[in-house]
Amino acid sequence: MLNKHRGHITKAALAAATALLFSQAGVVAQTTSAPAKASQSTSSATAEKGERWLHVRVICTDGRGDTVRVNVPLELAEKVLPAVNHDRLHNGKVRIDDSRMDDVDLRALMEAIRSAKDGEYVTVQGSDNDVRVAKEGNHLMIHVVDKSGPKKSQVEVKVPMKVVEALLSAGKDELDLVAALHALGAQGDVELVSVKDSENTVKVWLDSKNVAD
Amino acid sequence: MMLLAKAALGVSGALVAAGAYAFHEGVIRVDVDEFRAGGSHVHLWVPAAMVPMTMHFVPKHHLCDAANHAREFLPIAHALFKELKKFPDAEFVEVKDDEQHVQIRTHEGKLQIDVDDPGEKVHLLVPLSTVDDVVGQLEDSAPGA
Repeated sequence: MLNKHRGHITKAALAAATALLFSQAGVVAQTTSAPAKASQSTSSATAEKGERWLHVRVICTDGRGDTVRVNVPLELAEKVLPAVNHDRLHNGKVRIDDSRMDDVDLRALMEAIRSAKDGEYVTVQGSDNDVRVAKEGNHLMIHVVDKSGPKKSQVEVKVPMKVVEALLSAGKDELDLVAALHALGAQGDVELVSVKDSENTVKVWLDSKNVAD
Repeated sequence: MMLLAKAALGVSGALVAAGAYAFHEGVIRVDVDEFRAGGSHVHLWVPAAMVPMTMHFVPKHHLCDAANHAREFLPIAHALFKELKKFPDAEFVEVKDDEQHVQIRTHEGKLQIDVDDPGEKVHLLVPLSTVDDVVGQLEDSAPGA
């Protein structure tokens, strides 16, 4: 009776050992696919939170098709920036060289613009450049057309006033980049910078997609 | 026969446990192909969990030196890789011209760097958690940590 059962037990143990060996591949497959599942769940979680992405796209228009695309989640930039301590950048703040400011009080200047009504503040029309600085619907707009070259190039910058305020919220002679990024995250989809010239097209914009279009 | 079965069960159990541990963080993959005479061709697959484990056997003073050299970048790398794990798969950087194509992206919890150039191809795939572990160990080895 005992011998009869011993044979069954031996066979079962061998079968179990073989099954265990074969299952190793399965374990590896499962462990390597686990991050994928985790990643997918993270993906949907961040999509629910409304992750904001900053995109930079540079396209060289000289026919060679050179392209640079950078996509950065704002939250990532907010977390990483304070860890960068180099030159004038410390704890997410950039120190402004006082001597280069020519005694211009940036804070007072921005406060004046913030409290003012929408309108065009600076308009310069020259032979080389046209410059226009305006406030439109809580955005600071800067428009420059360079006419000096054989072909026109134009730069358009659109910055939400909340972002400018956050940028200037640090102490004197400092720009708070982290606060500015945080304020930017609260904005809707917006095209921040657009540069077009004969050789390059540059676009910096903010949206909720993790891929550039 | 019974003894043999027990031994087989023990060995295979140990193999499964070791295999599961070695691969639980995935695989680091490095592929380098240089297209020139005498160019190197490196194709490497390493269980990711082996890297932080192997670092325990590196002499302390070597780790300390490495941490000292990378002192400025360790906090940035630590913050970056810790945060990257929280985000969905994405292409962070893409540079493309008529000859080169460089991509830096995350895919299924791994950092993927691909460089395609007429002269060489480099493909690197490394789990973010492994990089984070290595950076953490280097930070702990830094002088004054």
